[in-house]
Amino acid sequence: MARLVPTAEMTLGPFFPREFAEGANDLTVLDGRKAPGEVIELSGRITQLDGRLLDNVVVEIWQADSRGRYDAPDFSGWGRAATDAHGMYRFRTTRPGAVEGRLAHINFLLLYSGLMRHLQTAMYFELGSDPVLDAVPAARRELLVAKKISSGWRFDIRLRGEGETPFFDD
Amino acid sequence: MKTAIDRRDPLTQPQGVEPGYPQTALRWPSQPLQRRPLTASELSGPRDVLRRLAPVRGDLAGHGAKRAIGQLIYLKARVVDEDGAPVPGAVVEIWHCNAAGKYIHPNDSHDAPVDPNFYGAARVIAGDSGLVELRTIKPAAYPVPDTAGWWRPPHIHFSVLGRVWLSRLVTQMFFPGEPLNEADAILNAVRDPAARSRCIARFAPSKGAALVYEHQIVVRGRKRAPGI
Repeated sequence: MARLVPTAEMTLGPFFPREFAEGANDLTVLDGRKAPGEVIELSGRITQLDGRLLDNVVVEIWQADSRGRYDAPDFSGWGRAATDAHGMYRFRTTRPGAVEGRLAHINFLLLYSGLMRHLQTAMYFELGSDPVLDAVPAARRELLVAKKISSGWRFDIRLRGEGETPFFDD
Repeated sequence: MKTAIDRRDPLTQPQGVEPGYPQTALRWPSQPLQRRPLTASELSGPRDVLRRLAPVRGDLAGHGAKRAIGQLIYLKARVVDEDGAPVPGAVVEIWHCNAAGKYIHPNDSHDAPVDPNFYGAARVIAGDSGLVELRTIKPAAYPVPDTAGWWRPPHIHFSVLGRVWLSRLVTQMFFPGEPLNEADAILNAVRDPAARSRCIARFAPSKGAALVYEHQIVVRGRKRAPGI
């Protein structure tokens, strides 16, 4: 069968409806039931080339459950948040377990005005051997590791410029 | 059935930094994107994202008997994969401005009137044939904030959550015959003319009460038999 070409991605623009960006950043409860595992608060700041804090960036995550399973019946693993006026996004989720062959990680996808295509990255809790992390030059791998802070885990994202977050294409 | 993901031809996708769109140079990474191996993590996805995202309005053309101002249109968009197979259950978010070029968003500072009978946001689920149908009004052109003289052609935004994480697609649909299509920095960031033309809906003549537009959205992924 002839292969169809995937439709061109285009920027989210500045007017993604607020109600679409809200209400999906707590992954610890599904259908009124609490998901098993350790609850973590995950937050971070998103900045652009000149360091400006970016408001209304849409952040989507996809992760395994606490036992390292994808799409478990009691944990959907998918969430969405938008940054506030201080450039901060926040999720409440469960700490993912390691999936076979991978370190524990959370996939990130960013959508924003001025991003002609969405950006993909992955967040880790520590450095180690992982085929996706190994695809990043060694000197930049640390940029994908979240920092432990008193309120949970912090993962800042720099779109462009000094300390630029590594992004993936596939 | 597993999903296979093939690499895309860069010409069929927009450039990251577009000279006519200054914000892109502040936001698109300066380092090359890293190629990564694909594992279960990237090739899986939430089976039922509706447990997190509820459907929102299937009709944007007005509240009950009160019709939104503008040309009534009926949109038939089909979500398929790279084999042309429908993607039933795909979550499709649709948003656009009103017939005066104004969004419902509080950040829209454009000096154009709000239409109290228009609410430009819907979340609908693709049916068995991958089809999403929506009655709405045709959006207008509007000037891009903070840019000199760049007007966006009429367009409708689409956000699609498909079978797996890598099927995610956010795009825009344009209307045929619009002169502003020729100069739009976003549409023309796609260098391949054929790929660009596939972002423009097809006008389907009909005798109904609304102008009908048909559109096809292709998300990444092809079915692959287990074990291959």
